[in-house]
Amino acid sequence: MSSGVKPGKYFVQGDEAIAEGAIAAGCRFFAGYPITPASETSEAMARRLPEVGGVCLQMEDELASIHSIGGASVGGLKAMTISSGPGISLKLEGLGWGIKNEIPYVVVDIQRAGPSNGVATRVGQGDFYTVRYGSAGGNCSLIALSPSSTQEAFDLTVECFNLSEIFRCPVFLLGDETVGHTRELLVIPEESKLNVVKRIKPTVPPEQFLMYPLDTPGVIHHPFPNIGEGYGICVSPYTHTSRGYASTAQEIQEKMAKRLVYKITENLDQLVRVQKQKLEDAEFAVVAYGGNARPAIAAVDMAREKGMKVGFFRPIIVWPFPDGEVLTVAEKVKTILVCELNIDGQLVREVSRAAKGKAEVYHLGSGGVEPHLPAQIFNEIRRLYK
Amino acid sequence: MSTVGDTLKVFHPLVDKYLRKERMPHMACPGCGIGQVVHATLLAIDELGLTPKDTVWVQGVGCSSRITYSTWVGDNVDAHHGRIFAVATGLKMARPDMNFILFTGDGDCGAIGGNHFIHACRRNLDVTAILFNNGIYGMTGGQVAPTTPPGAVTTTTPYGNIEDPFDMCQMAVAAGASYVARWKSTDFKPLVSSIKKGIQVKGLSFIEVLLQCPTNFGRYVLKTSQPQEVLKWIKEHSVHKKDAEKLTPEELAGKYLLGEFVYRPERSGIVERYQELLKKHRKE
Repeated sequence: MSSGVKPGKYFVQGDEAIAEGAIAAGCRFFAGYPITPASETSEAMARRLPEVGGVCLQMEDELASIHSIGGASVGGLKAMTISSGPGISLKLEGLGWGIKNEIPYVVVDIQRAGPSNGVATRVGQGDFYTVRYGSAGGNCSLIALSPSSTQEAFDLTVECFNLSEIFRCPVFLLGDETVGHTRELLVIPEESKLNVVKRIKPTVPPEQFLMYPLDTPGVIHHPFPNIGEGYGICVSPYTHTSRGYASTAQEIQEKMAKRLVYKITENLDQLVRVQKQKLEDAEFAVVAYGGNARPAIAAVDMAREKGMKVGFFRPIIVWPFPDGEVLTVAEKVKTILVCELNIDGQLVREVSRAAKGKAEVYHLGSGGVEPHLPAQIFNEIRRLYK
Repeated sequence: MSTVGDTLKVFHPLVDKYLRKERMPHMACPGCGIGQVVHATLLAIDELGLTPKDTVWVQGVGCSSRITYSTWVGDNVDAHHGRIFAVATGLKMARPDMNFILFTGDGDCGAIGGNHFIHACRRNLDVTAILFNNGIYGMTGGQVAPTTPPGAVTTTTPYGNIEDPFDMCQMAVAAGASYVARWKSTDFKPLVSSIKKGIQVKGLSFIEVLLQCPTNFGRYVLKTSQPQEVLKWIKEHSVHKKDAEKLTPEELAGKYLLGEFVYRPERSGIVERYQELLKKHRKE
């Protein structure tokens, strides 16, 4: 199949950049269900995938979309689905099947104001924990990347596909309406400049191949065989042995749970990606992620103009959470202000936990609809700055 | 603990050829009809000359699936409860060159997965779906199913079932499947030829099998543990559609129709139509 990369400069929405990123990463199966503010990605995939020989389907519901991408990935195609809050709630049912069977695929969440249907066309950041802990049953870890610009929407989508192949697991792109609908410059590089990880295939004969490496839980780059090539793969929702046979043995359950957690936690060094700005001399740090990072950076600049020593920190890979990086910031500054578009406080909980009491952590929440305004954040900085 | 399989090391030739012997003995209850359907499927596979290189077994959740899962010597893909058609859609679109044989149950296909079933038929996805209809939730211990007869006492209808059963063959016909048939587990020869026909037809083939579940349907609905009693009940409550023409509506009430309901091999499905779309719009 052709690479499908269309190098050049474009003026597009984040949602469209995600589609181009997916195609550049080798995605050749997409299944979606219409939902605002994510539908533009589905529309772009419907136009683009046939051009590169890929399959794009609109399924009957969110459950069918995520399960069909799981099936397509088992069938050998890189695959993606996309949704927003209410649809993500449904997709979580299928996510467990992907996690359990270590199936590489990408799920995009363009967050909107919730809960329930909330405000369909407007921004929110309420799915931070949903994507990480929403799959029933626990006993797993998860990778999620969060873009804050159209360019990053492209770049991180490619990265999501790469990580899904390397770690053999579903990976989330945790966007939001601000990113999804912001129309700005996208530069798509030449194919030769893109790092694309291909599906890793076994090099040992079938009798020596273990579909699920339960005895080496931290191993990554574990192959995923094609169907019909004699590997006799077994994929199931049940706790399974290394060969994929359902088991109720406590020992197997323990090994499988450790495999699903340790493959991520034993490779954390490969999963740290943060943005730091003006933190060298900072006494105060503003933390935000996704589209809400944009007003936060503007507010930090406003504070700097007033001579305040304020810096900015953003997790780009939000799960696994960058505990070590946050602790380093907390050890340096007196105060951390976490700005996010939910009232309940989600990112702030992780920051507080990782800061280990080294700095005072405050929350500037919002129910969503609009991102924070730079002035709102600046006023909060001024109120808390000591 | 030793089992019959361990002791004798003797297998039916079809088991020997197509099933994983390390997964035997299977976990079906004594007297269960699932073995008859698997036997018919294996015979159809053998007569058509299919191999593990070109055929994948796909399951859902329930007796139909838990018992057949990871027994096929080739690849086995077992979906979440009800999601078998969704998973199969991805599999078939990714690998249109391979045959996918789906084993689903009346709860899997008719209740939790009903919407996916309807839309797979509408798309006329080129897979062969075999519905194991035992009229009850067997794996979970005898709860009412959308196929349970009215009045039946089950563990969740202690005062009798007040709902009417779902005719999934009629649904498959209405939604657009290429081939739809229903048989009893004892109709071995027609079942084998139906499965063969289903594998060969382009588009979705849906073959429902009424099978005996002495453990739960027998116990709760018929108050018997005898497989032959359940088989007798199925025989009394079913009639071939040709014979049904001679019966009055009163005589037909509560009876399952058997036979082939639709065979439209000319009807195209999503797999072919997508290939046509690619021919027109593929640029690179």
